[in-house]
Order: sequence, then C-alpha cells, then structure tokens
Amino acid sequence: MKAAKTITTDYLLKQLPKATALVNRKQILVGASDSWLNLFSEDQKKLIGKHIHMLFALHEDISERALDNLLSNFESGSLRHKTTLDGTTCWFESTFSPWFDDKENVLGTIIQTDDITKIVENELELDRIKTLFKEKSEVAKVGCWEYDIATEQLFWCEETKKIHEVPSSYLPRVNEGIEYYKKGFSRNKISMLFHKALEEGTPFSERLVIVTNKGNEKWVKASGKPITENGAVIKLFGTFQDIHEQVMTEIQREENERLMTTLINHLPLNVFVKDKDSKKVLVNKAECDYVGKTKEELIGKNDFDLYDTKAAQMSRDEDLEVMRTMKPLIGKETIGTKKDGTATNFLTSKIPLLDLEGNVNGLIGISMDITHLKKKEDQLRNLINVTSIQNKKLINFAHIVSHNLRSHSANFSMLLQFLKKEDNESEKRQILKMLTQASDNLMLTLEDLNEVVAINTNINLEKSHLNLNGVLDKVLQNLTVLLRQNNVKIINNIPKDSTVFCVPSYLESILLNLVTNAVKYKSQERKPIIKFHAARLKNKTLLTISDNGLGLDLNKHGDKIFGMYKTFHNRKDSRGLGLYIVKNQMEAMGGTISIESKEGFGTTFNVYFNEED
Amino acid sequence: MKKINSLFIVDDDPITVFGIKKMLKLVVACEDIQVFENGQTALENIKKRKEFGQSIPDIIFLDINMPIMDGWDFLKEFATLDFSEKIIINIITSSIDPSDYQRWVELKPNFPHHINFKNKPICKIDDSDLEMIDMAS
Repeated sequence: MKAAKTITTDYLLKQLPKATALVNRKQILVGASDSWLNLFSEDQKKLIGKHIHMLFALHEDISERALDNLLSNFESGSLRHKTTLDGTTCWFESTFSPWFDDKENVLGTIIQTDDITKIVENELELDRIKTLFKEKSEVAKVGCWEYDIATEQLFWCEETKKIHEVPSSYLPRVNEGIEYYKKGFSRNKISMLFHKALEEGTPFSERLVIVTNKGNEKWVKASGKPITENGAVIKLFGTFQDIHEQVMTEIQREENERLMTTLINHLPLNVFVKDKDSKKVLVNKAECDYVGKTKEELIGKNDFDLYDTKAAQMSRDEDLEVMRTMKPLIGKETIGTKKDGTATNFLTSKIPLLDLEGNVNGLIGISMDITHLKKKEDQLRNLINVTSIQNKKLINFAHIVSHNLRSHSANFSMLLQFLKKEDNESEKRQILKMLTQASDNLMLTLEDLNEVVAINTNINLEKSHLNLNGVLDKVLQNLTVLLRQNNVKIINNIPKDSTVFCVPSYLESILLNLVTNAVKYKSQERKPIIKFHAARLKNKTLLTISDNGLGLDLNKHGDKIFGMYKTFHNRKDSRGLGLYIVKNQMEAMGGTISIESKEGFGTTFNVYFNEED
Repeated sequence: MKKINSLFIVDDDPITVFGIKKMLKLVVACEDIQVFENGQTALENIKKRKEFGQSIPDIIFLDINMPIMDGWDFLKEFATLDFSEKIIINIITSSIDPSDYQRWVELKPNFPHHINFKNKPICKIDDSDLEMIDMAS
C-alpha cells in the first residue's frame, strides 16, 4: 500500500502542468514534474536523486547563498535565474515553500518554477524607455505634469521642477503652479486655458513667460490635454518645455532681420539679389521705387521683364561673367534704360553670392543712381570746353594786341631814328607826317581793341526777348542811304512773331555789320539782293542772311574769316574787324555764327542765337 | 653801294615801306624797286614778269600780316613757281608770336629760295639781307 501510494504520488507529481519539484531535508531532488525537469535537462531520469544545488548550478544568475538559505531554513521565498536555450535567454522565477507531512513535520521544500522571460523582457523594455524618456526630457528640456481633479493633486516631473528652478522635493499646488506665470498676459492666458481644459476639455498649447523660483524670466511652451472618463474630465496632463533659448534666438534673429531690412531698405542705393537665372529674389525700397513696382511684383522677374532688350542683355552678360569668374564687379558705370525709354546712369557693383559649400548661388547687386552726377560732369566738361575756348581766344587776342601795338611802336622807333639823323628839312617834314599818321593808326587800333575788350568783358549785359523784325527794320532804316545808293533789294522772310533772346545793342551791331558787309562785297555784275530768314530750332533761333555778292573761297580763307584784321577783298574801307566783332558778340551771348560761301555767287551767314538763359 | 637789278617790297603799311625804301637808299643802287600792298598783287606781278621774260626780283622784303593774301600764303604760292635763280626773301614782321618764328624755322631748310626772318623795328639793311649769308637776326 505504502509503495503503491508513493508511486501514485510520484506519478501525480510527474504529470503536474506547473513546473514543480520536491527536495528532501538533505536537499536531494526526490521528485519533480516533467515540465520542471525539462527546464534543466533533457535527460530527466538522471536528475532525480541529485543534489538540488547541482541542478541550479546549471542555470545562471542564481545566488548560491540565497538558495542555501531558503533550503536549509525551509523558508518561503523566490529566486530568479536564467538559462540560454538555442541562443535565446529564458528567465525563470522559482518559488520556494516548506513541505509538510500530515503531522506538520517538515519533509523538505516544494519548488515551483515559472517562465518569466516575457515579464523580464517587459521590465527591461520599460526600464530602457524610462531611462530614454528621462534623458530625452533632460536634453529637450521637456517636462510633464499631471493634475488629478478628484484629489486636486498636481504632479510635476523632475524636468518640470528643474525648469521652475524648484528643488525636487517640492510639491506643487495648482494655484502656485499658475502663479509661476508672469503677471499679466501669461498668467491670464494660462488661467483661462487651464479653466477651459477643466470645464470643456479643450486642449491647449501656448508660448508663455514664467518667473522661476529664483526670479528668472523664462519662455516656456505649456500644453495640456484632458483625460476623460464617461464623458467627464478626470485628469489633465501635458508637457512643459523650456523654449527660452529658442525664443531668444528667434527674437534675436527677427531683430537682426529687421535691422538688415531697415538698413537695406533705407540705403540710398538700389539693392537686389538675383538667383542663377538672374531672377530677382530680393529687392530693397529704392529698387522698387526706381522700377515703379511693388516688391511682390519684382520678385521672380529678370531684367528682360523690366528693361529694354539691349540693356537687359548687357546686364545678363555681366551677371553671367560675375557668376562664372566668382569675381566681383565693382563700380562699373552702366546705363539702365526702362521700357518707356527713360535712361538712368548707374554706378553698379555685382558681387557673387556663394552657398555654404562655396558654389555660386546668385549675386548681390548694388546700383547707385549717378544721373545727376553725370549731368554735373557733362556741365563741367562743357564749362571746361568753354573755358579752354575762352583761353585760346584770350591768347589769340593777346597776340593780336601785342602784334598791333608792336607794329606801331616799331614804326615810331624807326621814324624817330630817321628824324634824329636827318638834316634835309623837306625829308624831316615827310618823316613828321609819317609820325602823325603812325600816331593816328595807333589811336584807331586802340579803339578797335577797346571795342573787342568791351564785348568780352560785358558778359552780363542784359539779354531780352527782341522782335527780330523790329530790330532789323530799325537797322535797315539807319542804312537807308547806303542801300539806296547801291540799289540793294531786301527780301525779308522772317516770320512776323520771330523773337531772339539777345543783348539789344549786339543784335543791332550784328545786323549792321552783316548787312554792311553784304553791300560792301557786292558783285559788280548783278543787282545786290540780301535775303533774311529765321527759324526756331530746339534751344536756338537760326537767323540766315544771304547775299548774291562776291563770295569767297572758304577752302582758302575758311579758318581766317572771323579773325581780327583779316580782309579778303581789296577795299580801302575793309579793316578786318566787323566779323571778328560779330563773332565775339555772338559767343559772348552763348550763340554761334557760321558761313557758307561760293566765290562769284554769294555768301550766307547762319547766326544761331542761344534761347536758353 | 651794291647794285641790284630788281627789288620788291610787299607790305600794306606805308610807314614800313617808307622806312625800308629810305634805308635801302643808303646801301643799294637799284633802278627797279616795286611796292605791293599784299601777297596777291606781288604774286600776280611776278607771274606776269615771268610770262613776258622780264627779270624777276633779286630780293623781296615780305610782311606777314596782310589782307587778302598774307606772307605765308605768298610763300606757299611762290615756292610753286619755277625759277632757275635763287632769290632772297626777307620776312619783316612785328609779330613776336613764337609760332610765326617756328613756322619760318620749319619752312627754311626745304624752301627753294633763301629766307631771312627779321623782327621790326629794323634800323638798317644788313649785308645779309642782300646776300645769301645764312644768318637770322
């Protein structure tokens, strides 16, 4: 019976689904379920009767001392151990409890072993996630918080506390939590959001400012979400992020950007940035004003859209050259011609724009409008020309003066020397007569010179708008006798309302001289005719005086015609002063005079009056 | 007294002409002294003389600043005329314009005749004005 009973027990034990083993007082394995034996060895029969320590030694991570302790004292407890089967780690937990007979005598220990691999793996995973989360929240400065409505308890994680600069032992309360927000906008906003989340379950996320425990102002991003149960909000939880540096960087960047924009926009220069295709990607106010379009209209446009084709092609060629050579183009004078034809002189610089890898990305262009400077330069050049002409005239005049005075003084000197040596009375009288003549000549020359000087110094003689016909009639009236004697025919084609901007006395002198000349050099072969004509040109009035007189060969005399003391016909009353004076008077008024002539046919004088002041 | 066949004075100033004539009387014996008011009339006369086989002047006193044809233009035209004899031309001028002097310096070496350059006032006729002695005064 006893044996049968034992076998029965053993057999029962063998079949138990949960891995179970029996160890006697001597710590010898006396029985075990197949499932238990399977955990240690495939050769199960050899295991029964072995010392239990030997079996556990087959597994790892088990404390010998703890095992011995449990088995020797027949205590309840559990131990973890693991083994590696086919390369995978299996975790086990063995529970030890004392084994009693029906008289409550301790027979040994019952060991039950569970496969806890999944649990251990989950534990490890959780641990890993927790560590990772902690690390992450530390690095990202993201904390979290939770509020339980029922218990009115507010929970802050370590990071949240760190952001608030409170010790980790600090226990926050809701009111305190809200009071950390900066008084004013931030505190009002968070109160409102928190309240709305509680009442209506509305999630929130907002950038606000807190004042930390240590009194530092910090930008944070606070967000919250409700947890509902049966439609009622029971908890709020959320994150709490320190975004101070980020916001400060943003503010800094915005300020820098504003500084740049303000600077670029208010530069009195046209600034633009172009991409590789010469399309504008940035323009400043001056550039917009110049083109007459808004920033939005300009972005994405190229020069062909804005300027005339020739100017645009030139600009594009420059762009390509700058981007190809990566060498800046500095201070080049260019002309920008808009589609409507208006031209502007620019001093343009183009600087290649490189990306972070050093490849050309486009270019920065800076253009300065120098139209007014160019105009000034032209005026200056004009002035220099005028001055140099004046200077030449002065030198020429000085030579004329010196020559004329010298010829008289030479005559005086020569005649006086003769007189000194002369004994013959009649010869002496002859010499004296010559001396008187020399003196008269000198006087005449001085008068001539004086007249020329007067013209050239009276630069500020008042010009006024004179009716050309009025003045001409007056001059012809004064010459009535001369004209009648010479039987001159006058043909006046000057329009009635023709005016010239001129010094009155000069106009009279010019007309007088030219008419007198025409009469003086009339042809003996035909009845003299003098024709007058006038036309208004752009800034000038052209007066034409033509005659059918002798004319002269301009190839021979062209360069001398307006020279002083130059005469070209053998006449006693020609002194070679008239045209010289006319030319000087015209030039003194900013006008010009030119001549057309053909020997034997006549002469035409073209007189250009400057109608600008 | 040096004997000269023919002599021209080309000057529009009667006083200078008077002076030259007066000074010439002291040093030259010449039956044929002609006066012209400008280059044109002098040139025409020379051309006529050449045409009729008459003697052309041995010496010319020439002013620069004259109406119609000045001294330089006269020289230009005169150089184109073909003469077997070399004659002496004395430029007499009151011009102290350096460009006039320069023009003479440039003209002289290649000119077919002998040219002198004299500034007024002249006080007497030098031998060099009558013979081909290379001298500038």
